[in-house]
Amino acid sequence: MEFDAIVVGSGITGGYAAKELTEAGLKVLMIERGREIRHQRDYATEMKTPWEMPFRGAGDQERYAREFPVQMLNRHFTEYTQGHFVNDAENPYAKADGTDFNWFRSYQLGGRSLTWGRQSYRWSDYDFEANKRDGHGTDWPIRYADLAPWYDKVEQFIGVSGAREGLKQLPDGQFQPPMALNPVEQHVREVMKANWPERCLTIGRTANLTEAKGERGVCQNRSICARGCSYGAYFSTQSSTLPAAMATGRLTVLTDAVVEKLEYDAATGRVTGVRYLDRTTRTRKTAIARIVFVNAGAFNSVHLLLNSANESMPSGLANSSGVLGTHIMDHASTLSAIALMPGFEAHTTTGNRPTGVVVARYRNMDAIDGEGHMRGYSYQGGALQSTWTAAKRDPGIGTGLKEKLQKPGMWRMVLVAFADCIPRASNRLTLDSNQTDADGIPQLKIAFAFGKEERAALAQAKADAAEMLTKAGGNVIMGFDQPGPGGSAIHEMGGARMGHDPATSVLNKWSQAHDVANLFVTDGAQMSSSACQNPSLTYMALTARACDTAVSMLREGKI
Amino acid sequence: MDGAQAKGWSRRTFLGGAGLLAAAIGLPLAAIKFKLFDADEAPSERQRSLMRTVSQIVIPATDTPGAGDVGAGDFVLLGLAHGLEKSRRPLSADAPQSLASFARKDGSLDQARWLEAELDARAQSDFLKVTADRQAALVAALDADAYAEGVRDHPWRTVKALILTGYYTSEPGGARELQFELVPGTYAPKVPVTPATRAFSSDWTAVDFG
Repeated sequence: MEFDAIVVGSGITGGYAAKELTEAGLKVLMIERGREIRHQRDYATEMKTPWEMPFRGAGDQERYAREFPVQMLNRHFTEYTQGHFVNDAENPYAKADGTDFNWFRSYQLGGRSLTWGRQSYRWSDYDFEANKRDGHGTDWPIRYADLAPWYDKVEQFIGVSGAREGLKQLPDGQFQPPMALNPVEQHVREVMKANWPERCLTIGRTANLTEAKGERGVCQNRSICARGCSYGAYFSTQSSTLPAAMATGRLTVLTDAVVEKLEYDAATGRVTGVRYLDRTTRTRKTAIARIVFVNAGAFNSVHLLLNSANESMPSGLANSSGVLGTHIMDHASTLSAIALMPGFEAHTTTGNRPTGVVVARYRNMDAIDGEGHMRGYSYQGGALQSTWTAAKRDPGIGTGLKEKLQKPGMWRMVLVAFADCIPRASNRLTLDSNQTDADGIPQLKIAFAFGKEERAALAQAKADAAEMLTKAGGNVIMGFDQPGPGGSAIHEMGGARMGHDPATSVLNKWSQAHDVANLFVTDGAQMSSSACQNPSLTYMALTARACDTAVSMLREGKI
Repeated sequence: MDGAQAKGWSRRTFLGGAGLLAAAIGLPLAAIKFKLFDADEAPSERQRSLMRTVSQIVIPATDTPGAGDVGAGDFVLLGLAHGLEKSRRPLSADAPQSLASFARKDGSLDQARWLEAELDARAQSDFLKVTADRQAALVAALDADAYAEGVRDHPWRTVKALILTGYYTSEPGGARELQFELVPGTYAPKVPVTPATRAFSSDWTAVDFG
């Protein structure tokens, strides 16, 4: 098989790369390790009620403990969605001593675009300048202005609903109309604004449509997105980029095909294609292309580069710097505060809004006001009412209990902090030569720990959250200041960082490997810092920008 | 005779019983179909009867069916066998003998056996043969003990959680006692609460985090 471009992976960035490259006229192979899932036809549980499920939505926990011991810890993993997550027993990974890391994965056509949280935030120059300012990691070779037009393009294509707030630290985008705050959230927003003018609570900016877009319908306010959405109302490969790419007539999709290695020609210094395992026939095959985009998901992209070591690049493909695999990150996150919010009992909501709220970063911007840390944190969460599940925690039985549970329960407000993660060389990915997976490929080994900066940020976030919710009339009942295990934010990134210098980074400012001109890595692996907001929108903007560059280079004969 | 038959339970009788129950109260059989138990962990008929009775006490019939009516008792037994509500977590090494004597082979508590013995002990006779009022009082006392100040972990909490789940995720509990809307279409952020307001069992955020 011979193509202009091969895209490894079909998730959020793989699908986007396939769309951009095919629309630019290239003949593209998108290769996916997992099974095919067809839009509108294979969302098996989308319309199921709890009483149609063998375990009423809770799932067979005994089986999960055997087969999905990591994935079952993901809050999006349920009996309805289990088919959209990997079987951990069949897809093992190794952890260094002392590492506590939950790697949440979705191996299927569409990857994690089917299960993602859809929160879509621009990064700002507070983020792109973070490494340069405090000296951690390496300086980003780009700034916000480089990416702004690509954010515009991506937002207009994927559809992001949100409110314009004019914040420097969380730039506005090309938004569809925002979803609504409920009365408690509106109240907390106003209290924050009155007492801390620099703090802004706004509705989540989410890739759920509030206006129809082409064949995609508006969000139905079900909030069961991870089952798959036949309305196409949230952005996924299936709903958005795959149809666009297929419409060009230039895309070939291969599923159940695990790319083991990138083929490298030392004479030309170029990759020539990929070698992959056809899981259906258990045979190994190759595909050839002029350029390769690696979009396997941050850690799997690094895994592939490490496993593609060759005689001229013995420590991994495109790793002359030696930093491949290092400086991995994930947001440090924790439940900073949950508060009961009396006084709002006269109202409730109907419908299930598929987003919460966000409180934009407000620390360590123009002045350093963090206590023990120099970067940012923000909150996500929202106000919700309790229901019958709260009765599990309280005494009471009988008719009185049943009558009580007929009504919407107490309002409560939740703030979950996401803190910037310092890029550290010691947090790294390697190949475990002693352990292989079911396909005979060395397992990925993760070494990861949060440091004092993240813990300090979460401690301040907890104190701030309690102060704000108390000021808003809330009764804080719980809060934490320690991060969950690495991976908990499902924002793992880094490992093939972008930088100015080929001696200290893997990729240049175009997401192009310093060492291999026709190799691009445009998923989370390219990230040089983490910021404190969700990264997927930035991955897509970087992908669109890299595709444009790659196509230009191809046409100019540079690669 | 295998273990299941020895306990008076088999797949056929179980589904047969379920079918009779469904017919009696007009429920779809789908509401109470579920996977088989391991043969050596199959509940006895007495355990099924007791769990049904207890479920009905926790959520009685009003203008909608009670938890026992809708098969929550069987769901509790299924959930206990399959680890729902962390029911297959091993007992701690310092668990009292009153619990340790009901350990399964894997070290977890056999809550169904424990509950049988606990309620019989509290009744000082066969729990299923005392009056309904007495049964309700005994379960209320157990509930009070399980949630008393300072008590953090109690097997009754596991059983009660599964009764609630079994009821409010059934069609009668989820869509008649409460409201259920799989495709709301719109989101209304501020809706007045009236005497007629009923919560939505399809408010997934409330279910997961409330």
